[in-house]
Amino acid sequence: MNKKARNILRITIIVGIVILTAATLWFNFSSKNQSTKVGDTAIDFKLKTTDGEDVHLYDVTKDKGVILNFWGTWCKPCREEMPDLNEAYVTADNDDFVIITVNVSENSQQINQFLSGLPEEISLPMAMDKDRSVTQEYNVGPLPTTIAVDKNNKIVKKQEYQLTKEDIQDFINEVTD
Amino acid sequence: MSKENEYIECPHCGHVNPPGTQLCQSCGLLINDDYDKKKIKDVMRYDGSAVRSKVKSSSLFDKIWIFFTSIRNGVIIIALIAIASAIGTILPQEYFIPVGVDAADYYKEHYGTFGTLYYNLGFHNLYSSWWFLLLNAMLALSIIAASIDRGVPLFKSLKNQGVKKHPSYYKRQRIYLHNEEASKDDVESLVKDLEKKRYKVRKEENSYLLEKGRLSRYGPYINHTGLIILLIGSMLRFFPGMYLDELVYAPEGETVKLPGTDSKYYIKNDEFIIDTYDKDAGTVFDKSLENQEALASNYQTNITFYENETSDIVGSEPELKEVDRAEIKVNHPFKFDGYHLYQSSFDNSAMKSMTFEIQDDDGNVISEPFEINLKDPEEEFTIKGTDNTDFDIRLRAYAPDFLEIGSNGGLISQTPVPRNPAFIFEVKDNDNNEEYSLIQIQDTTEITEDNMYNVKFVSMENEMSSVLTLKKDKTLFLIASGFIIFLIGVFIGSYVNHRRIWINSDNGLTLAAHTNRNYYSISKEINEILEKRNLGEVVDSDSKVHDERMKG
Repeated sequence: MNKKARNILRITIIVGIVILTAATLWFNFSSKNQSTKVGDTAIDFKLKTTDGEDVHLYDVTKDKGVILNFWGTWCKPCREEMPDLNEAYVTADNDDFVIITVNVSENSQQINQFLSGLPEEISLPMAMDKDRSVTQEYNVGPLPTTIAVDKNNKIVKKQEYQLTKEDIQDFINEVTD
Repeated sequence: MSKENEYIECPHCGHVNPPGTQLCQSCGLLINDDYDKKKIKDVMRYDGSAVRSKVKSSSLFDKIWIFFTSIRNGVIIIALIAIASAIGTILPQEYFIPVGVDAADYYKEHYGTFGTLYYNLGFHNLYSSWWFLLLNAMLALSIIAASIDRGVPLFKSLKNQGVKKHPSYYKRQRIYLHNEEASKDDVESLVKDLEKKRYKVRKEENSYLLEKGRLSRYGPYINHTGLIILLIGSMLRFFPGMYLDELVYAPEGETVKLPGTDSKYYIKNDEFIIDTYDKDAGTVFDKSLENQEALASNYQTNITFYENETSDIVGSEPELKEVDRAEIKVNHPFKFDGYHLYQSSFDNSAMKSMTFEIQDDDGNVISEPFEINLKDPEEEFTIKGTDNTDFDIRLRAYAPDFLEIGSNGGLISQTPVPRNPAFIFEVKDNDNNEEYSLIQIQDTTEITEDNMYNVKFVSMENEMSSVLTLKKDKTLFLIASGFIIFLIGVFIGSYVNHRRIWINSDNGLTLAAHTNRNYYSISKEINEILEKRNLGEVVDSDSKVHDERMKG
């Protein structure tokens, strides 16, 4: 083996191992559940609402910005922000965006029980994620989590605690720009 | 060019040797007496060839390469891996801690500062921590570099070795014999006899080279190849689609998605079965079974296997096509598309439903029992009473994990999991008398006053769930073949002997022999033949030294 061939062999082996290691590390860490970040593309989903209708995210984003609100009736801040979200949605009276609530793992009985206890009627679409598949795909940690998706299916804003009325307005502004 | 980089022409036979060669590749003359004596004590280990890395270093790649060719550095890497693996066993790995618990909190809570440190350094998930992977990669590089560095020159040396050797080379061997009285015929018949011992013979003028078992020298390199395949196999486990090990929690009667299959496969747990050994079966085991509680003889899940035919939009209702039905028993997994679905365990701790009945003020049961499904309770239904009264029951409120009564009179739950269920029932009789009561475990509170109909808790039914493990391992073939090659290498390196005998008939008989192990055996082999022909006897010079030392 001459010197040149030897150098090629050495470099190939070193580079090969480095690439294999880098790929291993990359797959190792990218497979770990990473939470959804602002700037990511929102994952498409299709859920049934309490009214029995289908909500298909990419269908909605064709002409509207979407605010996704992950919630559960057992979560106090979720219960508190629901009327605020509803009020903002009703008063905005705007065809440019929609607020879709995604209930995590409960059934319609519990959701309706909660809704019927509220003083006003909630006009938000109530999607049900019974087996948490969407919640898991979005890696939602604490509830409530609110995610704004623009018409290009980009995630433009995310908040993992209760929204104030100002926060809700910020979210609306983000998706209607 | 420094002296170390010069090719060396052998002063005896004229063969041009690569820089750093110690023994002439052709005739075996010691041509580089002072080269690296300290580093390689036994010039015969690599047949006097130049260990590459000890020769030159120039570029960055060469420097990296040379770092990894060092046995010392290799041993340090192995030691680090061993120490890390040992530390990884001090506390349980992450997959042994309870499911759903935050790992950082768990280690801190249970093991204090040490636990936090353990977690932050990645010991809780040792085999996939970045630095452990890096150490393994360094080990792989070290094995490859060290093997090529030593193996290639050794291979060339053995391939190019000449038949004629310098007299000094003969004398330097541990087995050496010079018999001036032997004739050329003696030598020839000696060679013939040795040939029968499966030696390969090469002849040049009056010199002979007899060799067998050269493969032995490559044993370490074969076993290193096996190790490399093993390491690559274990790295490939991290690549998507190569390896999967997931728990599947399947409640009886429910259809669940198989995780990690992109929503492609679903199973329905039709039935979970536990069989126990019969204590009166009349076998020899009856006596020992007597002292036991029921002893399980079989855990089995009967499943229906479905394929999802719709596009895989998350959350969308799957369109399931029944593909197969199977019985999964311990060690008898259900196999499909490279996956194995094993019976792992079962769980009946989750609450499934509660049964109630209506009693009158005196505690007499006045209705048939009714069951409330805790996961998906029915809101309105009618039950039969004892004396032709029907009761309309409405579930006005339900909290699976009761926390408190909300401001609007509803029930507030702590979690969505049925752990501490509470209900508000509205009971209406034929005369439309409405009564409300709040039921919690072991407690019935009247909401309306002086209820005639008391809803009483009768029993709770738990949900039987089968816990299965879904496995897929496409690296198994690589890992198994790597291991087999490793073992073959170890066998060849340990049990095959490389033996060479050099014979020269210029001046009587001159004989020298070398082996990489077991000089006793090769001496015996040679002596048997020498004795037959009365040509003398060889003695292993090292054992002579050893024996004399023993005599004191």
